[in-house]
Amino acid sequence: MRLSVWEGTKQGVARDISTIARLAAKDLRLEIRSKAVTIATLFFSAIVLVILALAIGPEQQFLRNGAAGALWVALAFAGVTAASQSYQHELEDGAFEQLLLYPIGRATVFLGKLAANWCFMVLLAVILVPLCGALFGASFAQNPGLLASTIALGTLGFALIGTFYAALTANLRARESLLPVLMFPVVVPVLLAAVSATSEIVQSGNLTLARDWLRLLTGFDLIYLVLCTALYGVVVEE
Amino acid sequence: MSLEPTTKPVSAVSLQNISKRYGDNVILADVNLALSPGKTVLLWGSNGAGKTTLLKLIASRLRPSAGQAQVFGLDVLQDAAFVREHVCYAPVLGGFYGSLTGRENLELARHFYGATADALEAALARVGLNNAQGQLVRRYSSGMKKRLALAKVHLSGAALWLLDEPYASLDESGKALVDDLLQEAKRERRTVIVASHDLARAYALSDAAVYIDQGRLYARSPAAVSPFQPAPREAVGNHAP
Repeated sequence: MRLSVWEGTKQGVARDISTIARLAAKDLRLEIRSKAVTIATLFFSAIVLVILALAIGPEQQFLRNGAAGALWVALAFAGVTAASQSYQHELEDGAFEQLLLYPIGRATVFLGKLAANWCFMVLLAVILVPLCGALFGASFAQNPGLLASTIALGTLGFALIGTFYAALTANLRARESLLPVLMFPVVVPVLLAAVSATSEIVQSGNLTLARDWLRLLTGFDLIYLVLCTALYGVVVEE
Repeated sequence: MSLEPTTKPVSAVSLQNISKRYGDNVILADVNLALSPGKTVLLWGSNGAGKTTLLKLIASRLRPSAGQAQVFGLDVLQDAAFVREHVCYAPVLGGFYGSLTGRENLELARHFYGATADALEAALARVGLNNAQGQLVRRYSSGMKKRLALAKVHLSGAALWLLDEPYASLDESGKALVDDLLQEAKRERRTVIVASHDLARAYALSDAAVYIDQGRLYARSPAAVSPFQPAPREAVGNHAP
């Protein structure tokens, strides 16, 4: 009996993971076909980085000091746009309503959309990091493992809050302006920890401090993961 | 304490004093309905009468403001996740991703409903979309989208079908397809609620009809207001005005 319960749980978990993967693949496929978010966010992020580099001036030390902050500003702005747009395909033709009528859990829907948004932000970061390095003269390649962890955890935190709040504002007429207003106060701890960890890795090389910031970032992500997953069902109900 | 509930057959749909309000706007008012399993019921009424709201409420998409709703004995609020395993709701329009092909949309549905690959092929063939399965849904006509929705219903294997205007946008062969599906549902003892303005057609395949007006439900056949002759009907529930 114990074995069959365990087998049932295992099958249920495997099915949920498969559903999450399908939902994420669906969102990424929709984005690959429309390219709307990719073009808008890439262009926007690149412009942000160029403007910030120009504003700081030619002094190499100042530029290097501002590199981590500039990278996360570009990622944050792009992340808001991506989160906001991630529900556009859903709202067309009532597809999201149908998605919510399928026999799948609300948490599964949230995790599927989160996975897609996170993948998108990580890919964006992969493009922006070398661009930022070139514009700001910063070496992001010193500790690639630690930097990759920081970007993965920072973008995860951002995607968590973005996916959650985008669902909350998806049906509102003023969603484009409301989303950042609601999101940024909540995302501040994630951004603070991500910028600080990146800054320690790129500039001062104090890896112990960087790891401390990463632990804090992991803590924030876990809290947001539990809260957002649990509350998503309430947010999407009518 | 009575032992009666355990011996009473479970209704496919049971609505008790259901109301739905948006602020002061009353969409459904004190709706009562008991529908036996395996029956097909026509839900008719004018635009804005509350048909779609009622169907969405039964499908567990909307929360009632008051009252109790059950599907096969499962509460639509407390057991919503289980209710969705037994219900397939086909909306008036859309419900699909325009930038995915018809097949990709159905593949998603197949996975969510746990249907087989053969069932998907059968559903596509049944609705006549075999040749258009690779097209993006945004390039489909309204009739093709409706056929895709019917394919999803066919694929779902759900015990309760909620069809919102199934005949809308369809040509004669499409309408005949809906008729076939309704007859098949009856043979397979599925319960179906058809909200339709194509009264003669839908009523001919229904076991009963309920009329909805300003959010209130009445046991009334369209024959009362239409010129066509009704067939004898079997009582399938009780409806309180």
